Amino acid sequence: MTSLSLEITIGILKIFSFVVPVLVSVALLVYLERKVLGAVQLRKGPNVVGPFGILQSFADVLKLLTKENLLPSSSNKFLFIFAPMLTLILSLIAWAVIPISSTYVIANINIGILYLFAVSSFGVYGVIIAGWASNSKYPFLGALRSAAQMISYEVSIGFVIITVLICVGSLNLIDIVESQKNMWFAIPLLPMFVVFIISALAETNRLPFDLPEDEATLVAGFFTEYSSISFGLFFLAEYANMILMSSLTVILFLGGWYPPIDIFPLNAVPGIFWFVTKVFLILFVFLWVRATFPRYRYDQLMRLGWKIFLPLTLIWVVITSAFLFYSGLLPN
Amino acid sequence: MFLVGSFFLFAAFLITTCIFVIFSKNPVNSVLFLVLAFLNSTFLFILIGAEFVGIILAIVYIGAVAILFLFVVMMLDIQITTLMFNIKRYIPLALLFAGIILAEIIYLTVFKTSKVNIDTFIRSKNNTEQIGDVLYTNYFIDFQLSGIVLLLAMIGAIVLTHVYRPTIKRQNIDSQNSTTAKDRVQLVKIKPGEGIKDD
Repeated sequence: MTSLSLEITIGILKIFSFVVPVLVSVALLVYLERKVLGAVQLRKGPNVVGPFGILQSFADVLKLLTKENLLPSSSNKFLFIFAPMLTLILSLIAWAVIPISSTYVIANINIGILYLFAVSSFGVYGVIIAGWASNSKYPFLGALRSAAQMISYEVSIGFVIITVLICVGSLNLIDIVESQKNMWFAIPLLPMFVVFIISALAETNRLPFDLPEDEATLVAGFFTEYSSISFGLFFLAEYANMILMSSLTVILFLGGWYPPIDIFPLNAVPGIFWFVTKVFLILFVFLWVRATFPRYRYDQLMRLGWKIFLPLTLIWVVITSAFLFYSGLLPN
Repeated sequence: MFLVGSFFLFAAFLITTCIFVIFSKNPVNSVLFLVLAFLNSTFLFILIGAEFVGIILAIVYIGAVAILFLFVVMMLDIQITTLMFNIKRYIPLALLFAGIILAEIIYLTVFKTSKVNIDTFIRSKNNTEQIGDVLYTNYFIDFQLSGIVLLLAMIGAIVLTHVYRPTIKRQNIDSQNSTTAKDRVQLVKIKPGEGIKDD
């Protein structure tokens, strides 16, 4: 085997070692969500398929796969089928730069954080194309809401990322985690951490900000016309995006693969364990928020994004950079 | 070989998508082809090793500008048949812009007058740091001026669209938040057979 083909084989295996766990954890996350919601609402949740109902989501996937895929006659056929694919592809290619330990990453690129920001901002295309290609009123309204919402919250996410980058002095994700070895950024940048988690909820269209798919007013929002596996792809992509945003939160604020305290029994545990545990905790927050808060009204959502988060993050960028500059802690 | 091949691939895609932007009958398709064109130019930037510029192009143009384009175009109710406009009308304008851009490219490539000697840079630095070094030192004034121009454009757009009309009903969030249950709900004891007297 030549060195090139060996390299390609290793690359493909590496990609599978990321994509397969992500897809399996999506299935488990859906199960977890239903169990958590059940527990919060004093129900049992899924408990029939498999032990404790753990195979429920796999049964749901099989059900979706065997159903008929309907194409609305007035829709734009190509874009209608393309939109869910695009959404899922975008939520999976982002994993190319996520480091789950100091050495294990598919592509360790200089501008990892910008790549992630770009890919997450492309996510809105899947939604907006789906809404337009359906050629139907509810999906269209859902798409318009989603476009406005995701752009508004990207602004504050951008400023939060800038604040972290000022503290790190590098756009590389591994550098970002390694600079948190002694102190997680969640402690000095606590307000930014909170803003980031709330914006992540809005960016992934999760409750209390799930206005693009608001079932009380828009039937099912942008995927009203979707059935069978094309709906399944949107569903997969939403949960894959949740896992992605949680990993991003862990990388930016919770010290990635580092243990909470750098003492013996904790730092002997492999880093991937800490990474997965932290991602799990953030995901639990996502589900907990869903069970606790009612949905926002649209004007409240926009007000929160533009009139509260934008000034707050802007001021924090200035405060952080001024503090680092005058205390001489500025990296490089 | 690989680099040259990818360059021609992406360049061909770029030109093809640009042609489709112009000749698509449906404006939404035009915007989607525009997105593809931006994406291909991002690839071209990454191919020459300018990954920072490439990815910023993707974030700004694909992630924000083109979405707003799409947003506006989708909301316009355009009859596709009316869009078969007379292309000849726009040819002089197009030639003017093409001429200006061509002149700029010739000026920059043939009579280049760079303030900085690029060879003095340390090549080991990544290009994010290189851009930062030049942008905030040699081109500081230009950078700030372009920022001010953009700020003015933003304020201008807000002033043009933000018309105050007293007839528009708005949500007053502060008064909504400061409302208590006492303002809205009243506990009334009703005697059987009497009902509530409306004040």
